[in-house]
Amino acid sequence: MSNKLEAYLEEISHFLSGRAEREEILSEIRSHILEKAAAEHGGTGDDAVDLAIAAYGPPRRVAERYAEDRPIIAPAYKRYLFRYTTLLFAVHAAMTVFAVIFKKDFVIFPFLYMPRLGPIEAAMYLPMAFLADLGLVAVVLYFVTQSGKDVKLPWPKIGVDLDEVKPPKKAFWGRVGTAVGAVVMLAVTDIALYIFTRYHTIFLYLTHGSNPKPLLTPEAGRYLSLIVIASLAVSTMALLVKLFTRSRWVDIVSNVISLGLIGLILRQPFDNLFAITVPEKLLPVVKANIKVVLLIIALIVTYELVRDIVRVSRSKLARSVAQY
Amino acid sequence: MTKQDPEPDIGSLETEMNRGFLHILALALLEKDMYGYSMVKHIETLGYRVEENTLYPLLRRLEKNGWIASKWDLSEDRPRKFYAVTPEGRALRASLLDIWKIQDRILDKITKENAHVQ
Repeated sequence: MSNKLEAYLEEISHFLSGRAEREEILSEIRSHILEKAAAEHGGTGDDAVDLAIAAYGPPRRVAERYAEDRPIIAPAYKRYLFRYTTLLFAVHAAMTVFAVIFKKDFVIFPFLYMPRLGPIEAAMYLPMAFLADLGLVAVVLYFVTQSGKDVKLPWPKIGVDLDEVKPPKKAFWGRVGTAVGAVVMLAVTDIALYIFTRYHTIFLYLTHGSNPKPLLTPEAGRYLSLIVIASLAVSTMALLVKLFTRSRWVDIVSNVISLGLIGLILRQPFDNLFAITVPEKLLPVVKANIKVVLLIIALIVTYELVRDIVRVSRSKLARSVAQY
Repeated sequence: MTKQDPEPDIGSLETEMNRGFLHILALALLEKDMYGYSMVKHIETLGYRVEENTLYPLLRRLEKNGWIASKWDLSEDRPRKFYAVTPEGRALRASLLDIWKIQDRILDKITKENAHVQ
């Protein structure tokens, strides 16, 4: 028996794993290939078997021809995957904000437990929450699909479909907007860099008739300035790249980096932050306000990130359905 | 068809059409006992071609539904799996052929109507 034939069957077997009739299928294929090699290529030697195998096709494709199971999620329910995930994640994100602001645990029994979170944990938690929500909805839709019943899933009708795919904006004006944005951002980044090289910080305040003075302590000022400049540079780069491509991946990558940078800022203890004198009573309020503002920015970036991931996934899904 | 229209993807449409046709073809061929390779070669002599890796899954589905039956013949040098149509398969074949004839008649009529219009 040809080793190549056995290796080929082994590969098919790998892709057929889980099928009860696997051995029978492999016997059929073995019989056919040997028959073909002998009849058309003069025997069952390695070369003849090789030719018969080549004609039979790649192992994965051969195995896939036997797939007749129900799809994991029926085509009719696929759009609900993103509809329900978006809704669920919106609830999750809102709960996260409450958990951070009110510093309390939240439980919506038995669906959701939201532990008390700090701003950094919240920023780290949200992407994981999105994946968990996506997985949960996928599991529910999987069971609905496997039930084989025509389940009519609910979705609010409020004039238009909430997830209606809007046609892309007119390319020309979209690009003009991007170009203007890129020029502005480039200028802002350059100004920030200039200020930083001159004063070692971008956080300055002006007093009447004197040079600008640093608002923050040297160490905090340098660290936070670098993060803000990096953030500006990333946004500028994203806008410049978007002049040449309309890929949503540019926004996704840019938003992931931005989230990371916001996380770096939130890691700061915010102690010994100000170079100016801030009244003792006011300090906790200022610190809390900075964190809330950063958290809101993080939420907006996360929302955009999730939206872009959903849109990329949905356009991939639309393409796969069109091919189907 | 305008200049902007893409070329029609006959490949995938042909696959769609073949799906039903192959069922009838296999049920018709298996009036006498045949093994997979002999079916492929016989179909080729009729001026048609079926992919080998498509035929066996199809035969498996037909057998699973009880429309054909199979048995291994171990008397030769190489084991061969022979297939034959069952009474249920014959009934199915008759029904499918009726459908196919109706479809053929409808298309024939429309083609004639179109020829008349032009």
